[in-house]
This record gives sequence, structure tokens and C-alpha cells, in this order.
Amino acid sequence: MGVLAPVLVVWLSLWAVNAILTGGGWDRYLAVRIAVPLIFGATILLVWEMVVNLMDVPSVILPPPSAIAATFWDSRTILWGDFVQTILKGALSGLAIGCVLALGVAVLVDRFDFLRRGLLPVAGFMAALPIVGTAPILVMWFGFGWQSKAAVVVLMVFFPMLVNTVAGLADTTQMQRDLMRTYGAGYWSTLVKLRLPAALPFIFNGLKIASTLAMIGAIVAEFFGSPTQGIGFRISASNGQLALDMVWAAILVGSLAGSVTYGVIGVIERQMTFWHPSQRR
Amino acid sequence: MKKMMMAATALAGFAAPALAQDEVRLQLQWVTQAQFGGYYAALDQGFYDEEGLDVTILPGGPDIAPPQVLAGGGADVMLNWMPSALAAREGGLPVVNIAQPFARSGLMLTCWKDTGITGPQDFIGRTIGVWFVGNEYPFLSWMSQEGIPTEGGADGVTVLKQGFNVDPLIQRQADCISTMTYNEYWQVIDAGVSPDELVTFKYEDMGVATLEDGMYVLEANLADPAFADKMVRFVRASMRGWEWAGANPEAAAQIIIDYDETGAQTLEHQVRMMGEIALLTAGSTGALDPDAYARTVATLLAGGSDPVISAEPAGAWTSAITDAALAQ
Repeated sequence: MGVLAPVLVVWLSLWAVNAILTGGGWDRYLAVRIAVPLIFGATILLVWEMVVNLMDVPSVILPPPSAIAATFWDSRTILWGDFVQTILKGALSGLAIGCVLALGVAVLVDRFDFLRRGLLPVAGFMAALPIVGTAPILVMWFGFGWQSKAAVVVLMVFFPMLVNTVAGLADTTQMQRDLMRTYGAGYWSTLVKLRLPAALPFIFNGLKIASTLAMIGAIVAEFFGSPTQGIGFRISASNGQLALDMVWAAILVGSLAGSVTYGVIGVIERQMTFWHPSQRR
Repeated sequence: MKKMMMAATALAGFAAPALAQDEVRLQLQWVTQAQFGGYYAALDQGFYDEEGLDVTILPGGPDIAPPQVLAGGGADVMLNWMPSALAAREGGLPVVNIAQPFARSGLMLTCWKDTGITGPQDFIGRTIGVWFVGNEYPFLSWMSQEGIPTEGGADGVTVLKQGFNVDPLIQRQADCISTMTYNEYWQVIDAGVSPDELVTFKYEDMGVATLEDGMYVLEANLADPAFADKMVRFVRASMRGWEWAGANPEAAAQIIIDYDETGAQTLEHQVRMMGEIALLTAGSTGALDPDAYARTVATLLAGGSDPVISAEPAGAWTSAITDAALAQ
């Protein structure tokens, strides 16, 4: 274990740096706020690289970050094609369809109370269906292309979006609704001008959850049948070929896509719900 | 009385090592089925016991890659197809073939006859289901030799990552699918399709067959004389099991049903599979035929712009184990 001493030194010293940076009130500087997570990430990568090299870990078990980065760069065209197939065509289209459906059903559920009692449990049941069971069935119905992956994503995101939107639509006070009535606003005016804007924080909350589920759903659904393109396909096929560095490169693409989507939704949320207490700095 | 009991326990403790058998873990490359009938027969009929081996058979499955299990130390010996093993060897995992019970390949493409496909060149513009997780190499090699690109488009074939079922053919999502003569082909027949509606292409007949189920171990382990001796006994008992299974297909199928933990196999299917497997193992003593090995390597190297392996493998197989096993 003495061979790991340099690793310990590196890890503890970078930890000490971060401890100093976060301790002394330095985080009023933007540069420090950015540096701390970057140092943390760099520490993990450094320790990983050092352990794999020092302990001669076979690359079929765990490749070092340097090999993963090299493969990522060399295979960037292939990975871009996978990204388009899985994320753009599968996950995002499924997310869009699922959210539109959920919003529509939420408005209906809000309008007609008997629908709320009937539909919410069914939607909950749909969400609980295990994806490893539904994915093969949907591949059989919709074929091997991105359509079946989008269908899996729709099943997964429908319930979270529905529940969040229904909660959001109910989140107006009696005073606010009475005010709209005094203005002579009918149901649909009140819906568009008061209740939907008030529901936005909840809708964005649901969107954030749904976007993560969409990534997972699209990638896992590809394990059950896909053309020879896609992040899930790449992970599965490269794993079978023992090309673990490609597996990690594909994982990296998926993580980046998920993070970027989450970030974009966060930015739009800040623009549209600037008035909400949760957006106060 | 207490002293007698303690003495008896101590004696039993000392006696235990004498009865202890060498442990061997075998990683199968698929679920428990007649494809592995020889090993289960050897286990059930006590051939492993007679060699002083305590064998654990680990069933595989859809996403279990036996080379990975071997690399992680989860098994001592694995079954694998030669293309996958050679690719793993080139990728940095030094596996060595110690025995080759399967002399012939059971891989074939099954197509709908009404697609009008009569030969490999008719695959152009068609959709073909191909297994991955190590089973794609024979197909990719074949297409490369035929000069047919596999990225799709009008002048190539569109490849689907086929799951381990025959739905793409039945649902008409693919024109052809990968099948084994002993398993998936019969699943198509069982689904109500008549053999007249199908046209099949056996890789053996097309001259692009590669060696299939063989026993592989890690090169480092083979250097240990105790391990090598264990493997000699294991191979000997396994080949006895294959002989027995070939001579007693119904009984061997029943053994499979008994050992099947999933309960998903049926006796009828396993009897049929055992019969088909016997065609692949017939005449094999377990020793790897160097000519068959050379043909497999040539097929894999001839992959044109996308060969499965890029260089002639060295030290990928050894006859030492089978020589010793069959010498008796």
C-alpha cells in the first residue's frame, strides 16, 4: 500500500487548498466560487489516474481518465452521431411530447374534478412500470428507431410533470382568484393569465426531474433494441467488446448532455420565474 | 463424554482437507440450456467428482460478457466464441484457448423467403438483425469480405442491434436475423412460421464460419502447475460429459431442465437443442484443430477496412491441456 502514498499526498493537499478557499470568506470572489468545484473535480480525476497507473489496474476493469479523454476525442464523430440519435431524437422529443401531454391532462384534471380522482392513480401506475419491462414491448410496437425510445421517455416523464403541474395550478390563493373574478375573467382567462404563470415554478421543477428521467430512459431503452447508433447502444456494444474506455466516453457524453439540459432549463426558469422567492439571490 | 466429542470434532476437522476437492468455476456464455449439455451432464453424472473437482457452473445471460467475468476473477474458466476471445486478447486481456469441444459453427442468418434474398449480395439495402456483446464479429467479418458496408443506406446493409429473441423477424422489422441452428431458428418455427417461408444461410456453408464455444483461461493462471493440472482434469471430465450427452440426448435434456433455475426451459425445446448441438460437437475430442483455428483467424483478419483483429494472434491457444487430458 506504500505505492499509494503519493496519491494520499495529492488528495490531502488539494483538500487542504479547498478547505482554505471555502473557509475564509473568500467566496465573495466569483473566481473562488468557480475554482472550488473545479479543484474538487480535478482531484477526483488525478487520484483516479494515479491509482490506476500505480496499481496497474487492467483497462478492462477501469481505464484511466487520460485513455478515456483520448478515446473521446478520437471518436468524437461517432459520439456526436450517438448524441443526435439518443438525446436529440429520442430523449428530447420524448420529453417534449410527454410534457405537452402532461400539461394538457393537468389542465383537464384541474377543470374536471372526477378526472383528478381517476387519472392521477393511473398516471402513478404508469410511472411505476419498470423500464426494463416496458422498453422491449415498446420496441416491438414502435420499431427499433428513435420512436420507441421517445415512447419510453413519454411513459417515464408523464407522471412527474402531471403531478407537478396539477400542484402548481392549485397554488393560487383565494384572494388572487377572487380578484380575477372581479375583473370579469372567465375560466380560460384566469387559467392563462393567473394560474399557469403561478404554476411555472412547479412546472420547471417537474421539467428538471423529467429531463434527468428522459436521459436515463432514452439510454436504457436502447439496450433492448436499437440501430447501430446511440449512447445506450455504444455503451452496450463497447462493453461487449471490452472497450471500456469507449464505454466511459459514452457515459461522459450522456452526463454532459444531462448537465447541459438541466442548466438550460435552470436558465430559462430564472428568466421566467424571476418573481418567485426561490429565485432570490 | 465432552472430551470424546471434542476429539471426534478435531479428527473430523483433520479429515476434511483430505476430502476437499479443487474448486473450479465455469462461466457459461448464455443461460442454462442444452448448448452446455456436456458440462451439466459431467456435473450430474459425477465425472467432475471422480476427477476430484468441485465445479460450480455459472450461467450467463444477455449482458454478461464472460471475458469480463474472467478478468474480474469471478471465474476460473470461461466459454466464449473464438472471435470474441481473440478480440479480447488483442484488447489487452490475455485469454488462452485450452479446449474446443465445438468443431462446427451453428450460426446462421434466417431470412424471409418473400424478400427475394438468394445470396449475400442480396443483403444490400436490407435490414439485418445482428447480435452484439461479442457475437457481431462473424457477421462484420463476412460483410467486409463481401465488400458490403454496414452503416445503412441504399448500397449497404442496415444493421439492427438484435436482442436475443426472434421478434424482429416475426414483426417484420428486419428482413433477416441472426439465429443459431439449435435455438433461435426453432423459436421462429415454434412461432408458427413454416420452413418453406424461410431461407437460411449457414456461416459454415458460406465459408465464413468461426469457431464457437471453446474453453478459455487467463494466461497468467495457466503458468501455475496446480491450476494447469486442475484444467487437465476439468477438460477430461467435460469431454466425458459431452460424449455422454451426445449418446443420451433425452437424459441430458432432462438434466438441463433439472438444473435450470429460471424454469423457463421446456423439455421438448431442450431435447431438440441437444440433438442439434450433438451435430456441432460430433467427432470432436476437445482438442483444437489447428486448421480450423487458422481458418477462423484468416476470416477475422480478412475484414478489409474493419478487421476484427488487426494482427495474427500469438499464443492464443495451447494444446498442452488437451494433450494431457486425452493421453489417458
